[in-house]
Amino acid sequence: MLDDLKKIWYPIASSSDLPKRHVYHAQLLGREFAVWRADDGNVNVWENRCLHRGVRLSIGINEGTELRCQYHGWRYANRTAGCTYIPAHPADAPSRTICNNTYPMKEFMGMVWSGEETFGDPTYFENFDEFTVLRPIPINANFDLVKELVKSKYDKLNYLCKDEVNGAFSVTFERSETILFFVQPQDSNLSVLRGVANKALEGAKKISFLKMHNQILQNSRQEIEKISKTMKNNPMIAQISNVSVELSELPEKSEKNRQANLRVMVSEKIKTAEGIVSIKFEALDGQLPTFQPGAHIDLHLQSGLIRQYSLVNGPGETNFYNIGVKLEEESAGGSSYIHNNLRVGDVLACSTPRNNFPLRRDSVKTIFVAGGIGLTPLLAMAQALNVMNLNYEFHYFVKNAKHIAFSSILEKSKDKVFIHEGFSPSLTVEKLSRILSKRQKSMNLYVCGPGPMLEATRRVASELSWPDKSIHFEYFKNNNEIDDSSCFEIELARSALTLNVPSGKSVLEVLRENGIDLPSSCEQGACGTCKVNVIEGEVDHQDVYLNDSEKLEGNIMMTCVSRALSNRLILDI
Amino acid sequence: MKIGCNDKVILDQWHPISSVDVLQIGDIHNTVLLDTDISYQLDVNGDALAWLLFDNSKTLLPIRIFYGFLWVSLGTPPEFLFPFPEFDEPDRRNVATGVFGVNVSAGRTIENFLDMGHFPYVHSGILGEEPHTEVKEYDVEVSEERDEVLATSCKFYQPQAAVSSMEGMDVDYIYRVPHINCALLYKSSPVDEARLDVIIIFVQPMGEEWVRAHTGMCIIDDDSTAKEIRQFQQTIFGQDKPILENQYPKKLPLDSRIETPIRADKSAISYRRWLSKKGLQYGVIPSAI
Amino acid sequence: MLELYDYELSGNCYKIRLMLSFLNLNYTSKKVEFYPSKEHKSESFLELNPLGQLPVIFDQSVVLRDAQAILVYLAAKYDKSKNWYPIDDPDKLGFISQWLAFGDSITGSSSAARLHDTLFYGNFDIVKCRETAHSQFRILDEHLFFQEELGNKWICNGSHASIADIACFPYVALSEEGGISRMSYPAIRRWMDRFKRINGFVVMPGVFPAGPL
Repeated sequence: MLDDLKKIWYPIASSSDLPKRHVYHAQLLGREFAVWRADDGNVNVWENRCLHRGVRLSIGINEGTELRCQYHGWRYANRTAGCTYIPAHPADAPSRTICNNTYPMKEFMGMVWSGEETFGDPTYFENFDEFTVLRPIPINANFDLVKELVKSKYDKLNYLCKDEVNGAFSVTFERSETILFFVQPQDSNLSVLRGVANKALEGAKKISFLKMHNQILQNSRQEIEKISKTMKNNPMIAQISNVSVELSELPEKSEKNRQANLRVMVSEKIKTAEGIVSIKFEALDGQLPTFQPGAHIDLHLQSGLIRQYSLVNGPGETNFYNIGVKLEEESAGGSSYIHNNLRVGDVLACSTPRNNFPLRRDSVKTIFVAGGIGLTPLLAMAQALNVMNLNYEFHYFVKNAKHIAFSSILEKSKDKVFIHEGFSPSLTVEKLSRILSKRQKSMNLYVCGPGPMLEATRRVASELSWPDKSIHFEYFKNNNEIDDSSCFEIELARSALTLNVPSGKSVLEVLRENGIDLPSSCEQGACGTCKVNVIEGEVDHQDVYLNDSEKLEGNIMMTCVSRALSNRLILDI
Repeated sequence: MKIGCNDKVILDQWHPISSVDVLQIGDIHNTVLLDTDISYQLDVNGDALAWLLFDNSKTLLPIRIFYGFLWVSLGTPPEFLFPFPEFDEPDRRNVATGVFGVNVSAGRTIENFLDMGHFPYVHSGILGEEPHTEVKEYDVEVSEERDEVLATSCKFYQPQAAVSSMEGMDVDYIYRVPHINCALLYKSSPVDEARLDVIIIFVQPMGEEWVRAHTGMCIIDDDSTAKEIRQFQQTIFGQDKPILENQYPKKLPLDSRIETPIRADKSAISYRRWLSKKGLQYGVIPSAI
Repeated sequence: MLELYDYELSGNCYKIRLMLSFLNLNYTSKKVEFYPSKEHKSESFLELNPLGQLPVIFDQSVVLRDAQAILVYLAAKYDKSKNWYPIDDPDKLGFISQWLAFGDSITGSSSAARLHDTLFYGNFDIVKCRETAHSQFRILDEHLFFQEELGNKWICNGSHASIADIACFPYVALSEEGGISRMSYPAIRRWMDRFKRINGFVVMPGVFPAGPL
């Protein structure tokens, strides 16, 4: 019988029971729920149990987009019920998704409906487009008893009582005013009697209507509970489902190599442009390590992902790290986590800043070409040149004015900043030709932006005779497909080791497996951290970090993605 | 006259029922242990006695005084309780800080005592504070020869480590579980850096989901009054109680698939495995095999 | 300087700590140890309050016992806004007194159950205690529901909380420690969230803060 009831949709709350930033405590067929309305209006019906140590989520905090458990501060996201933040482990965040158990939810007729094992849609009642929800009455009695006695009460008052679907019943009064009653079975001796009238009442009329039925039902309750006291039913036991085997095991410590030895706290998160947030981090303890313009940090996100972000800081701004993050349309979780779940006060682990994109300060003039979010490292560079009173031009290509980020920093250099809005690819090339045609000796070009823009700029610069050495670029990601099918040997000159690199494994992985702990960051061939010098052999460059001359020279390789064209490489490690 | 429990593992243990300092000679007290009503007293000779409440013949139960508490067994207990040498050091103050009722199992109570991750949330401003929420990696050993669980190298940021300090700092902790329902926390004494203060919790299982938690401190300290020490303990306990009573299942689940551990829970996981290995049934949900 | 004879785990003392915080008044806390030494029944304390109960307040020459009386005194004397205890509005004062008495009766049920479960106070019928608390909570929940319908957020009419809310809050908030669940009282649970968001709200062990709105 209990199994049949589990398939029924029951109302478990009035819509008005879910005000802003509140968590409502419900129970149905022995199972407790934490029910909360997010700021976007969505109602979440979750098992009332944090998966960590079983603490009730109904004593937790509704923070608008997430529910925070009172015990250890774990946060669970609206809709998905996925855990987005575990304060105890800023660095070793497991890359597994911990998700609370959720239940189906429908909101209509002024109430929130759910069910243990329902599917599809609940029954919608005709003639209830306008409605007034009665005050719900908790009753210490079994739902069958409640229905029987409430029906008989109204029956004795000569109103027409009718059975409706799924245990509901209706009572019709004068002038076809009907109240639909639902008895929500919380436990074997506990129910909530809910009623909805088929007219929309307001003001004093509504209150007196509600009071009238409230009184009738509470009087009914007295009689019901007297009878119920003589009955003894076994409690309904809700099964606790097992977590997956993976989640039940203690997670591994994260790899030592992608070290994130700094602990930082989000001190500021503000929207700086359409789809771009500016985040500031402060040290949890002590002083943040120093950095140069062009440096980036590895940020370890609670979702288990590691992402690289350039520091936007100007020289001397050593009390914080400032980054800009663009929400990628097809976010693999990094930018969407930062935009939607990261909060001021959260603690994250990050690496010491790495500078693989250094700024030359010996240029007669520097040209910066920034595309979209690519302006971040260049902004740090421009501020450095400001301090040294060195000349530069800062060309910032954006889709439109709404996409101009960090405008307050750009303001500081306004006479050197040129914003180009809404240029098509061909117009961009035209503009670039004009910008780069004014080349003189000892000028340097720094470019950062989306792949195609980077390529176009490098090509135009090359065509306009900019030497390779003077074109400095940074890719944020490597969009090339890595072909790791080759198989070759590497000889380590200093370690007197010869290792085999099979297909499917990178040089970096093989080195680590053999105790050689190379630092790495993006691990996709964009940032330059994992580079080693090559003494002999022909490198198969698959990175986007080295420029063409460097690749031709073949003295450096990126061990995370690059491989060998020859049978063997001799590396200087 | 019946003993309400038939789990031999727990019956053959010593269980704390009262601190000695609250007992007046001659007064008879009643309590519940393992679903069994018992009576106890310190008689005119100063001897501790206990018997089943409804036993008219008042057959005496095994009873001893260890570490300032009365311990009783409803089965065949070992000769000695676990060692606790600090208790007898001459310059120690042993303060019983009160016994509190909690509607949850003994296992959950012990696990909460071992947990550091909740300090910034439940004991905010006292034992921890946001954003210093990280539980750094620590070591756990389950010693077969000593039959105990030991967590060492535990570190947690405390906002105000001592009354005199202006800022917070990382405090080192050692946690020890030498008995299925007893735990000791060792932390550096503010008075003598080379020695450790001990905070104890000895849990009396009244029922499977209902306990009396006997608390105390064994410290090297001359400045605080016993009243101040007790008040501190009561504050901490008052903050933990609603959390403990809102956990379910109330019994400690020994099956690993009921809950999701993180690395900070290493000591709890070891504790659960240790209990499982002993074959404990009372107050726990045994592992499904 | 105001002196409060205070015990941290006492809900009645918490009422006064709340009022003092809401009114931003400085005070010294004289700790009286209710448990385990029963200091509130000591000879010296009985001289202050022959009923042997906490809290007691000293304000220069004024010595008062009884949490509700102290709330009236502090609000009437120190609340310049006259919101907490509107001394110029006798209707409101009548209502407030009605609910102060109600708050006191919750001490008899919810607080007693809590003492029973936490500190093993015996000698009374715990089942009856809990039943009484539930019937009181039903009345409070019904009242708060209809107050909400009228656009009121508090126990008494008006846009500001009154000492009636303070008098009822602690032992409602601590009821679960005595085995009295609040699941069936959604209007009370909403009122508790609102109360916790009042400027100056402070917690006590057993009470969690609400998140911001």
